[in-house]
Order: sequence, then structure tokens, then C-alpha cells
Amino acid sequence: MDKQSAIYTAFLKELETHKGIIYKISYSFCKTKADCQDLTQEIIIKLWQSFVTYRPFSKNSTWIYRVSLNTAISFYRKEKTRNRIITTTHDSLLQLAEAAPAANRETDEKIAYLHQFLLALKEMDRALMILYLEGKTLKEIAEIMGISPTNVSTKINRIKVVLKERFSKLNF
Amino acid sequence: MEQVNLGQLWQEQTSKINQAIALNEQVLQQILGQKAASVTQQFKGFKIRGIIIAILYLFILGSALCYAAVHFNRSASYFMVSVAAIFLINVKALADYIKHLVWANKVDFDGPVIAIQEQLARLELSLFRHTRIMILQLPFWTTFYLSPAWFPAGTSLGWIIFQVTITGLSIFITYWLYKNLRIQNAHYKWVRILIEGAGGKSVYKALAICQQINSYQAMEQLINR
Repeated sequence: MDKQSAIYTAFLKELETHKGIIYKISYSFCKTKADCQDLTQEIIIKLWQSFVTYRPFSKNSTWIYRVSLNTAISFYRKEKTRNRIITTTHDSLLQLAEAAPAANRETDEKIAYLHQFLLALKEMDRALMILYLEGKTLKEIAEIMGISPTNVSTKINRIKVVLKERFSKLNF
Repeated sequence: MEQVNLGQLWQEQTSKINQAIALNEQVLQQILGQKAASVTQQFKGFKIRGIIIAILYLFILGSALCYAAVHFNRSASYFMVSVAAIFLINVKALADYIKHLVWANKVDFDGPVIAIQEQLARLELSLFRHTRIMILQLPFWTTFYLSPAWFPAGTSLGWIIFQVTITGLSIFITYWLYKNLRIQNAHYKWVRILIEGAGGKSVYKALAICQQINSYQAMEQLINR
């Protein structure tokens, strides 16, 4: 196996492991399916460029989260050039099977609301909340975001109150 | 009412996604082959067409300037001064634009989110500040066609009044726009219309990101006190 193939294989392995993270971040930052596909593509390109340049073999998922969130938050900068990114194929990079397992109607509804409420948050707060919901520790979130764990904790508590308030107004 | 467990909801979503998501390797190979393989491909994200048009425009201006310089006679002095000023202003604006795009493209996305977003947003705002220089060329577009052979000595008083009014007005508009078209005035409706009209919606987004970052940094300072 040549060097280029070895890098590609290693990258593919990383993508397979973390594809869920990439999808969830794209989904949490986009209102439409088309935008979500474009963002996924953009994130994977950035990951590849970062992977080829820095070879983060020894790094944990911090790398994936940082690159994905930074790409998602700055996606607005590509607003005008977005069409050029789309490939010649109409297939998307990460496909969610049509027959995705349904939890139950109420849970699905709640998940849809959670998505809606996350989209209504400011970008930095959204990023913070995604990391919290992903089960990252305060220290890990602080490392990814570049702020102190105390700041993370304060912000998360405030956002949680906002989200819970919004849920409480729904009739579940 | 039952409290919603946000973490549990997210986990439900995660398990659903993990079971149903598939990576399309064929598309991946195609994208990486097309987009990310070479340095030149990275420049595709830039407004490359705009840059090429600007370079062509500068080439035409430069050629006209060279022609006037080689075949110089006194009657072309207004033309030479005006076109030279327009040329230099456009060169400066284009150089700043390319420099900023290259900087933006060099930003390492593998850095802490707050720091990287601050860097990107400030770059976007600074690009806006630099492209503002384009306004300065407006008065020169009202003088390039004049010639000392007929202006002001050989023309009517009506034309002189017209010319002075037009040039004076363009100087005033230029001064006023250059002074007021600033990020600090972004809350004014007319500034918003002008910026968005020039395709600068991302400037507003960058401004919003900067405000969010400021709130995070303010909290950080409060904690460190």
C-alpha cells in the first residue's frame, strides 16, 4: 500500500468512527436538507485537509469536534460560493436510511423540537450545548471551545434553563 | 408536567443515527479527488471570477495609462492623474482582498472554537474595512475626460459650473461614505442596505459572531477576577 492510500485508509477509518458526530453537527446547524448536505461535505473536506496537513493520528475526538464546529459556525462565509462546492453527483456523503428506526411518536416529536430549539440558539451556545449533549465533560468542552470549565458550566446551566423552559411550554 | 431529559433525547437521536447512517465512499472519493487534493483547488472557494475580472480591469486601466504616458502631451494630464489614481486605488483594494482571502484560507480549523471563530470573524470585518477604499475612486471618474486644452479656459461658464458641481458633489459623497460606512454604524438601516447590496451579508454574520465571542470573553474575565 502506498503512502497516499495509507493516509486515505486511516482517514476513512476516522470518518467511519465519527460519522455520527459529523452528521449531528451538520444537522444542528442547518435548516434545510440541502444545506445539511453541503455542510457535511464542507466539514469532511476540512477534516481531510487538516488530516493530510497535521496527521492527527494520536488525537482523540477533540480534533473532529473542533474542525466540525469551526466549519459549521463559519459556514455563513461560504454563503455565496456554496453552489460551487456541490459535486456532480446528487448523492450525499452521509446518508440516513429512509427506514431509520423510529423510537416512538412522542420521542420523535421531542427530538424534532430539540433540533428546532437548538437551531434557535446563538452559534456559540449551540456548539456548547451539542458538546454537552454529546456527553463531553466540562474539561473536554473547555478544551474544544477554548474557555475555562467554569465558564462552560455557567453557560450550559443558562442554556439548559432556556431549553427546558421552551419544552415546558409544549403540551407533552 | 414531566421534565424533559435533554441528554436522554440526544442519546435517542444518536442511537437512531448510528443505526441508520452510511458513508457513501464513492462520493467521498469523488469529493476528495475534486476538491481537496491540491492547493489550487483550495482557491476555488474564493471569488476567483471576481479576482480575474478585477485583474483584467486593472490591465485595461494600466494599458491606457502606459499609452498616455508614452504618447504624453499636456492635453492628457487630467486623464493620466485620474486614471493613475483609480488604478492605484483598485490595486490596493485587490491586493488587500487577496491577502485577506489567503489569510482566511490559512486558518487552522483544528484550533479552539472561540479563538478560531474570533480570528475568522475579525478577518471578515477587516476585509470589509479594506474594500471600503474602493469608494475613494469616485471623484476621479468625474475628471478623467477633462483636458487642459479646453478646461477651464476654453469652455462656457455653464460647463464649468456643471463640472465643479459634479466633482464637488462626488468628493462630498465620497468623504461622507468613507467616514460613515463603518462597522460601528452597522445598526443604521442605510448602512445595512449598502453593505447587503454589495453582497456583504456575511459581514453582519461576522459581527454577530464577534458579539457572541465578546460575551464569552467578558464572562471569562469575570471568572478570572
